[in-house]
Amino acid sequence: MELGQSINLASLGSQLLVGLSRAMILFIVCAGLSFVLGVLRVPNIAHGSLYMIGAFAAYSIFKLFGGSSTGFWLALILAPFVVAAVSLIAERALFCHLYQREHLMLLLFTFALMLIFGDLVKLTWGAKYYSVLPPSVLRGSISVFGSSLPRYNLFLLIIGPLVAIGLWLFTSKTKIGKISRAAAVDREMVGVIGINVSWVFAVAFVIGCYLAGLGGALVAPTVSISLGMDHDIIIEAFLIVTIGGLGNIWGALVGSLIFGLTHSFGVLLWPQFAIVFPYAAVVIVLLLCPRGLLKSVW
Amino acid sequence: MFRGIIDLKSVWLTAAIFIILLILPPILPRFYTYILALIFVTSLLAMSLNLVLGHGMLFQFHHGVFYGVGAYTAALMLTKTSLPEWIGFVAGPIMAAIVGLLIGWFCVRLTRLYFGMLQISLGSLIWAIVFRWYSFTGGDDGIHGIPMPSLLSSLNNVYYFILIVLVICLVVLYLILKSPFGSTLEAIRDNPQRCEAVGVNVRRHQLMAIVIATFFAGIAGVLFVVLEGSVFPDLLFWVLSLEVFIMCLLGGWFTFAGPVLGAAIMVGLRTFVGIFTEYWTLILGVILILLIFFLPEGVMGYFLEKFKPQVKEAAERGAN
Amino acid sequence: MTKRIVTMRSLVLGVALFAILLILLPAQSKARPIKVGIIDCYSGPAAVFGKDALNGFKLALATINKKGVLGTKIEFTTRDTKFKVDIGLSMAKELIMRENVDILVGTISSGVALAVSDYVRREKVPFIVWISKSERITGEKGHRYVFSTGENTAMAGKAGGVALAKKPYVKYWIAGDDYSYGHDIANAAWRNLGKLKPGVKKIGESWWKVGEPDLIPYFTAIEGAKPDAVIFATGGRSMANVLKAAKTTGMAGKIPIWIHTATDHAVLKPLGPEAPEGVMGTMDYHFYYPDTPANKAFVKAFQDAYGEPPGFPAFHAYMTAHFIAKAFRKAGKVNKEKFIDALEGLKIDAPVGEVKMRACDHQAVLPMFLGVTKKVPQYDFVISTDIITLPGKDILPTCEEIKKAREK
Repeated sequence: MELGQSINLASLGSQLLVGLSRAMILFIVCAGLSFVLGVLRVPNIAHGSLYMIGAFAAYSIFKLFGGSSTGFWLALILAPFVVAAVSLIAERALFCHLYQREHLMLLLFTFALMLIFGDLVKLTWGAKYYSVLPPSVLRGSISVFGSSLPRYNLFLLIIGPLVAIGLWLFTSKTKIGKISRAAAVDREMVGVIGINVSWVFAVAFVIGCYLAGLGGALVAPTVSISLGMDHDIIIEAFLIVTIGGLGNIWGALVGSLIFGLTHSFGVLLWPQFAIVFPYAAVVIVLLLCPRGLLKSVW
Repeated sequence: MFRGIIDLKSVWLTAAIFIILLILPPILPRFYTYILALIFVTSLLAMSLNLVLGHGMLFQFHHGVFYGVGAYTAALMLTKTSLPEWIGFVAGPIMAAIVGLLIGWFCVRLTRLYFGMLQISLGSLIWAIVFRWYSFTGGDDGIHGIPMPSLLSSLNNVYYFILIVLVICLVVLYLILKSPFGSTLEAIRDNPQRCEAVGVNVRRHQLMAIVIATFFAGIAGVLFVVLEGSVFPDLLFWVLSLEVFIMCLLGGWFTFAGPVLGAAIMVGLRTFVGIFTEYWTLILGVILILLIFFLPEGVMGYFLEKFKPQVKEAAERGAN
Repeated sequence: MTKRIVTMRSLVLGVALFAILLILLPAQSKARPIKVGIIDCYSGPAAVFGKDALNGFKLALATINKKGVLGTKIEFTTRDTKFKVDIGLSMAKELIMRENVDILVGTISSGVALAVSDYVRREKVPFIVWISKSERITGEKGHRYVFSTGENTAMAGKAGGVALAKKPYVKYWIAGDDYSYGHDIANAAWRNLGKLKPGVKKIGESWWKVGEPDLIPYFTAIEGAKPDAVIFATGGRSMANVLKAAKTTGMAGKIPIWIHTATDHAVLKPLGPEAPEGVMGTMDYHFYYPDTPANKAFVKAFQDAYGEPPGFPAFHAYMTAHFIAKAFRKAGKVNKEKFIDALEGLKIDAPVGEVKMRACDHQAVLPMFLGVTKKVPQYDFVISTDIITLPGKDILPTCEEIKKAREK
């Protein structure tokens, strides 16, 4: 078989759009991870679990409203809040007591959370495969550049930048956002000027987990919702956050774009070895820019 | 940590444990001999990680890669070549150390989290290659039925072999940690800038420590092959690396033998809780949380704290 | 006073002695139960199959134990492998060395199946594989102590080859999960198709990681290459993703697709009416076909017990239980070697008809059902229709081929 036998402008164009839409979901998930990493300086290993809970919660809400289109929109709005609530409980009950401790202990805690959440999901929803359907307006595909692009992917291309803008407004215009950014850079100073650092951490953690849940809810119509989603996404998310620059949300965007686009173009050029591509891309970026492409927050 | 704390009591205790372990196989049912041997292998892996983690504060997040490389090297040499087995056994740790040198050379240029993340990326690349190269490594089917020398065909003989290798490795690790090399490593952990100022080549020192640690991880990999007779890509997967990491933290990463205890707890929990419920990961998670809150220095750290106040001070110093 | 104490003491001593004797005395008439150890995956994405199998096994045992086997009952105990080979191997060793099971059954992961198969060969304990489809299990790595009650990739590939050879397609694209199962299915299908229809050409291959959530770029690339037909070699985990993508991109209507286990109910049910139509699939079990009294009874019993129809894992496990019971009855005693001798060549009545455990390779001779997905009014999910049955003896590798493979 020939390498890249069907490369022409049309196929490149469609792969570009497809890669970008995948990058949007990755960005939403990784932005949350990066945000938590920046403020709390801890890579949240349980981030994938929250993403998975978001997908399952979306399914339940979708089912609750009879599997209709309104069910989907409600699921998209409510599921991330469910995840945020779960994360708030975990944070206030357990996590916040550990902030003084050695970083590796916090890492260990998030690992324990991943184990617990994984089994809790199994206990709550069982082992079956579930499915969420996109609303009728987003079903099917349209013809773009001669091949079919699913309408849902177009939807993602709109949602992604909206979330990015929302995050930018939050971190640069709102008071809480600005305090979070400050806490990421210098938490002692923030404490010195009288702000309760623990509450800042709580807000940052909950927002990060909200984004994970949103990512899970958005991805739900395109995949089969099953146990093990947490394991799949977490390694990708970690790699993306690393090449983007630890704690830098815009780095997460850059990293996601690199990941999504190298994947979709790699599929076109060398489809037999697509499994190796993301790791190779990450390795190349890290060898050239060991600290990530954008400046890390600390 | 253990410097200056070697007293007759510890020596007698260690010797007593060793003698008990020696006489167990004939009286224990076969399964418990097997589990003990598995704990020995895992302990060696955890101890090798702790050389750089607890004593060097290097975020070695993907130590499992070197374990897997050691195991696969031995497996491939024993199944694809007709060279005598001991060559395969020796090739394992050497190959692991070479890979450790390569990966370590890139990683030591970074610190803390970056070090760990780069290692995860490079390690995952190696995992993907082993997984995909089906014709050579057997892919996700793995390699099974690896032939062993006849001396190592009975479970009891395997047990003794692994125990002896473990003890030798532990003694060597202990000597390394007590030597000037080990003291310098710990000094680098506690204050790298001051060491640089005094003229220590921090990076080279850390790289050496990584090579040593990965060499021992390779030995653990070979021992795994001797015990199970199989290899598979799970050995190089990030989940296993994370578990070994947890074993060190669980057992007490600022102590010498803490990881051994951590390995014993994890293997024991997994095996015996797994008999009663499929939700043993949930139980493991809960136990970890309890340990984080109530035994922050790990299990071994807790015991040492009770009996040896100096260790507690050192652990506290390191924890800040 | 002392006399009463002495009497009290001797009474207590006497009772204690009696109790000890009672405990130590061997249990007389009640024979020890037959112990079956099940290693399977009950966590993660493969759990749905493991649980289905366990339910099928339990259902069969409910009937079998009413009559009993050799004067005793069959008991089982399960262990979760979490799809990891080291855990699976450890659990198998625990079941054999500590629980002293008579038979080992189970597992979906080929890695676990092959590792445990190698182990039981040394321990001389029979192991019946019931979900894992690797052809190596009863093929080149087969031996006296391992059996399979599930179909394998060699059989599925031959069925696929037979199905596609009848069609006019020439240019094929092959895509699938990048692990041994995917490659095995693809190789087997392509090999058989090439033999039956020498003019076919493979114009490209795509492989994605197992469980890959984003298949759209692969689909758009494949569409761009304009093949006549596509063979998807994917496992249960990615199956729903593949079907969803096929429907969303519209490939299902435009380009013919063949997938082994595309018509698996566990995958089609959650997709509901949105599953793609017109996809060719092979399965060795459907709860709605064949519409025989035996199958209907099995499905009804399963539905009553577990609230949903059985899938292929339940079917395999159900057969396994009956094979075990019948083999022990034929052997006459709870002896592993006699069990194996009895099991070779044994025939049972399964929901799909009579199934034989072939003696030369210990593979159950199962028929394959080839159909096309279609929406039907009586169900709210898509089912396989226009089903053609390929008898087992036509699709299994011959005994000579097995012998040659094992000698290598």
